[in-house]
Order: sequence, then C-alpha cells, then structure tokens
Amino acid sequence: MMTAATGPRIREAVRPFLFLAPALVITAAVIILPAVQTLWMSLHDYVLFRPDDVPFVGLGNFIKALGDEVFWLSLVNSFVWIAACVGLQFLLGLGTALLLNQSFWWRGLARALVIIPWALPSVIIGLMWTWMYDLNLGVINDVLLRAGLISTPVAWLARPDTALASVVLALVWQGFPFFAVMILAGLQTIPDEHYEAAEIDGATRWQQFRFVTLPALKGVIATALLLRIIWVANSLDVILVMTGGGPGFATHTLPLYAFLKAYSAMEFGYGAALALMLAALLLVVVAGYVRRIAKEEVR
Amino acid sequence: MKRRQFLSLAGAALAAPAVTRVHAQSAQTVRWWYHFDNPQQTPAELVAKFEKENPGIKVQAESIPWGGGNDYYTRLYAALIAGNGPDCAMVKLNNQARLVQMKALEPLEPYLAKWAGKGDIADNLWTMNKASDGKQYFLPLQYVVLYLYYRPDLFAAAGVQPPKTFDEFLKAAQAVNKDGIAGFGMRGGGGGHDHWGSFVLGGGATFDKGGMVSDKALAANRWFVELGTKHKVFPASAPTDGFRQIVDNFKAGRTAMTIHHIGSANEMVQALGDKVSAVPVPRAADGKGWTSFGDESNAVFSASKAKDAAFKWISFLSSGANNVAFNTFTGQLPVTTSGAANWTLHPKRFVDASMQSLPLMGVLPDHPKTADFTRTVWPQNMQRALLGQIEPDAMMKAIEAHFHG
Repeated sequence: MMTAATGPRIREAVRPFLFLAPALVITAAVIILPAVQTLWMSLHDYVLFRPDDVPFVGLGNFIKALGDEVFWLSLVNSFVWIAACVGLQFLLGLGTALLLNQSFWWRGLARALVIIPWALPSVIIGLMWTWMYDLNLGVINDVLLRAGLISTPVAWLARPDTALASVVLALVWQGFPFFAVMILAGLQTIPDEHYEAAEIDGATRWQQFRFVTLPALKGVIATALLLRIIWVANSLDVILVMTGGGPGFATHTLPLYAFLKAYSAMEFGYGAALALMLAALLLVVVAGYVRRIAKEEVR
Repeated sequence: MKRRQFLSLAGAALAAPAVTRVHAQSAQTVRWWYHFDNPQQTPAELVAKFEKENPGIKVQAESIPWGGGNDYYTRLYAALIAGNGPDCAMVKLNNQARLVQMKALEPLEPYLAKWAGKGDIADNLWTMNKASDGKQYFLPLQYVVLYLYYRPDLFAAAGVQPPKTFDEFLKAAQAVNKDGIAGFGMRGGGGGHDHWGSFVLGGGATFDKGGMVSDKALAANRWFVELGTKHKVFPASAPTDGFRQIVDNFKAGRTAMTIHHIGSANEMVQALGDKVSAVPVPRAADGKGWTSFGDESNAVFSASKAKDAAFKWISFLSSGANNVAFNTFTGQLPVTTSGAANWTLHPKRFVDASMQSLPLMGVLPDHPKTADFTRTVWPQNMQRALLGQIEPDAMMKAIEAHFHG
C-alpha cells in the first residue's frame, strides 16, 4: 500500500523515463533489437535456405573466422582501405578547403561544385569509375595512351596490384568534399587577428599554417577523421559495384566479406560473426569519438 | 461509452476481416514477381489481356531488380521467409533446390493434368525442369542457349573456319589474336562460369563427387586457364569482365569471339551488321560438349492463398501467342512449339545456332550451393588462376571442396 508521501515521489522518479520512452522504444526497435538478433545469429549455424535447421554453435563461427585465410586477407585489406581512403581524402580535402578559403570571383560556384561527388549515389560512382577504368573503352587508358605515359592499355580493375588502389581512388574522389566542407567551416572560425599578429611577429606562410591554422582546426579535423573512419570502414557499395571483391580476393574488405557470406552463401550465422568482429574493432574508434564529443560538451 | 455502442463496435471489428475475405474472393489478386533485362519493357499489355479474359482475377506484376540474379533471389528468399512472398514468380533452375529445401514451392502436377497447353511445350523442356525429388514445380516460360559468336570477316582474313573442336578453337583464336584484337572475349567476372563450363564441363569435368579433380577434369581446366596465361588469347581485363564488357568489347571490334546467347544478337547486328555470326560452342576431342541452357520458368509458391489464380496466370504466359508476346519483351526464345515455328524477332542465323546447340545443353547442378558457386567461388578461384596466384588444379580442388566438403 502506498503512503501519501511516496506516491508523488515515485511519479517524480518515473517521469523522466516516460519522456524518454518514445526515443527508447525507437532505439530499441531499430538498433538494440537488430544488434541482439545479429548476436543470436552469430552463435548459430544459421543458413537462410535451411530455416528449420539452425543448430547452436557457440563461438564456432568466430573460431572458424580466425582460421579462415580470407578473413585475414580481408582484415589487412580493410586496414589499407581505411588508411588510404581516409588519409588521401583528408589531404585532398584540406588542400581544397585552403583553396576555397581564398577569395576569387567564382568562389561561390566553386564551393557548390566541389560538393557534387559527395552528393552522387555510390552505385553511380562505382559504375562511372568502372567504365573510366575499362581496358578497351575507358577514358583513363585513352588519356594515358595519348599522353604517351603507357604503351598498352592497363586492365586497372583486373590486376591484383592495381585493383585496390583503383577503387581507393574512386572513393577518395567521392569522400574528399566532406573534409573540404568541414575544414572550410573550421577555417572560417579563425579570427583574422591571429594571422595579423603572426605576420607582425614575422611568421612565414608555412609558419602561419603550422602554428595558427592547424591548432585552430585540430578539433574539427579530429572529429571529421573519426567519423570518416567509421563510415569508410563500413562502406562496401563502391567495391561491390566496381570489382565485387575481385580479382581473386584483391579488393575483399571485412564488411564486403561479411556481406558476401550472408547474401551470396546465405550463411547468415557466419556473416553475422564477421560483422560483429568488425563492429568490435570499430568500437575503439567510436569510443574515441564519443570521448571527444563528451569533452567538447563539457567545455 | 455505452454498453450497446461498445458491443456494436466490437461486432463490426470482428466482422471486418470476414467482409474483406468475401471481397477478396470476388476479385482475387495474384502477386507476380518478374525481371526483364530491359527495365523499359513492361508486361502491362499481357496483364490487361489476362484480366479481360479472367474477370475476377487481378494481376499485380512487380518488377524486381535482377542484379545478376542475386538481388532478385535475396529479395525472394527474404520475402518468403518473412511470409510476404508473391503468389508466383519467375525463377531459374539454379535456385530450385534451395526453394524445394525451403518447402516454398507448390507441385504443379494437379494443375498441369487439367491444362490444355501442356503438349505445346517440348518434352525435353519438361524433363530439364523437373526437380530432384521427381516433382514438377517449374512451368517453362522462355529459354536461351549459349553459343559462340564470331567475326566472319576476321576469320576469312586469317584464313580460318569457325571452330568445331577445342583444338580448332585454339588455332582460330591464335590466328585472329593480333592488332589489339583478343581472340576470345572471356568472361571472368560474375556469370563467367558459362564460358568455363563449355570447355571444362565439356572437356569432362562433372559436379559429382570427385568429378572436378579427375585427371580429365584437371587437364581440361589447365587447358582453359592456359588460353589466358600461356596463349594470351583473352583480353587483359578478362578476370573481371562481366556481361556488359564482353558484349561491348565484341561490338567495338576488340575481340573476335565470345560466348553469349541470342539475347544480345540484335545489338551485335546493329553494331556489326553481317560481320557477326554464330555457331555452337566447340566440342572436346571425344565429341562431347557442354553449353549453358539459360532457363526461365514460373513457379507458384506453397504459401500462396491464390494458387488456382496464380496457375491460371503463369499458364497464360506459357501458352501460344502469349508466350510469343512475352518473349518479344525479353528477347529470349518461346518455349512453345507453335511459337517457335513463326519466330521473327532475331536474324535466322542466330536462331539456327541456338537450335543446333540444343544437343549440348546442360545446366548446373540442382544443389543449394550452386548459387554461391556461380557468384563467389567460381569467380574468385578463376580470377586467381588466370592471374597466376594459384595453380589451375587448386581452383578445381576448391570447387570440389565447395560442393563435397
């Protein structure tokens, strides 16, 4: 039985949760439930075309992955993929942002144009670059041949030594506007007085960049890098369209391997285990991102 | 709320499903999934004709993206498992075993027994489409057979004849392999197992236990891989070339031969005129051969609540003039004897090459792992063998292991 005093107190304690309930329900439905289901699948030998026979295998799928040559190949490719894509996107984005921060008469147009690759759907980008790289009909081979840089056309996507780099280049083109826009926004928050003061102190252009611009952009760059690492690590659409992971396993990354295991072999259990391993690796990056955000909010 | 009001509302709520059910019976809806290579084609005309002939049945035709087959089947499996599948759909043999294992298909014998159009479809098509449990789940709709496209002008200039055997094929490919033209436009990307099959399955490999690692099979595969690695009659992009690349390369005059079916004949002729012709794929020295039978059927799903109506619709599509009309949309060949007799959509030489290829036609095994073989296992291993990353024999061992553990 409730006393007169505890009634309102309980209501008081429950109230915030009532307000949170809609958000919690949606989060549970679209994030927590699928995550739990993935975890459940990863512990079973779940094959989609055998829905009546789903034996529990414990950590079997994870152990199988550790002994799977393709898993390790994909893991190494994933690291190369992330480092090359994010690194080059960042450098290109930084350069673009610095250029776009100069004043020239068509700056507004340039800023709008630079966002185009970012706005295009990945599948279109994949198809576009596939044909640009084509051995017989591609514009890249044509230009290089005419310029005399190569003597015979190169099968960019069919050679194991060029395939991954070729796909990376397509993704760099797609992703650099994100960095450019983020960094440009950061650049515009740096007060001109800082540069004036630096100039009075006799700082060169490089020193101004090194000691004024970069420190001021540190926060923006760190956040953009962390976000982009998470996105690039997960992205498989462009690879899937351009090479399907081939030739051989040359462009296999971990999410692509998990995808093929789930949707081609229909081995949802093994695919889920691979996806969870990728998620565990990414949690390190996510933790870094969350800590940064928390720190910024405290400040 | 007053008690009487509540009761009447509750009564109405209970009655509602019954009312809709009665309504559904008076106008049944058949959901049918299809895919056309050319998404601009639509079966709307046929649907209208059918609905006119069968008042009380509505056909909801849903175009599903094909994506090399995988997009289509992933959606189909997911929809069936989620209990939201179509009543009937276009299906191919390479997924029949999986669908049978899922108990997703409805046997058609009781319906076929009463269907007048059954005799107009050739017996070998019925046999070809039978499931491994002996039942008939598939109703043939259209077909194509893969054959060898070649360039008569280049062959004449090099003084060679269209090849009938593997040896002649190699000689011809080498003779025309010059001036930036590759002898054979080989497909190493998705769907390329058909090319490999003509030479390696035709050369004696089988999908039975041990069939990929027999001496004959290993030798046939070595010979095929060497076409690329040793004789270099494939273009450098062969390891990842797909359908679009082999057709475009041939049309652009970059390859002198390739293997595909009648579906690409008209665009080849548009680009090359009479400088393109076709013959059946070459045979092994022992006279055996293999070419891919590109099948397409309709099936009714066991979970359907409108099976009779669904069968009416799919049998409509496989009979006489309707089947001819359907195949003018898809660019494939009609399954009915009456339809084939007056076929005018393709130049005759390609129809002839298709007919002459029928004795060679085969299909991949009716096995749950076949779909993954065509999508990942074959391309990955073929590409690595063509690039010299693995020995040709290792490729065959990997295929053997995929099917037989």
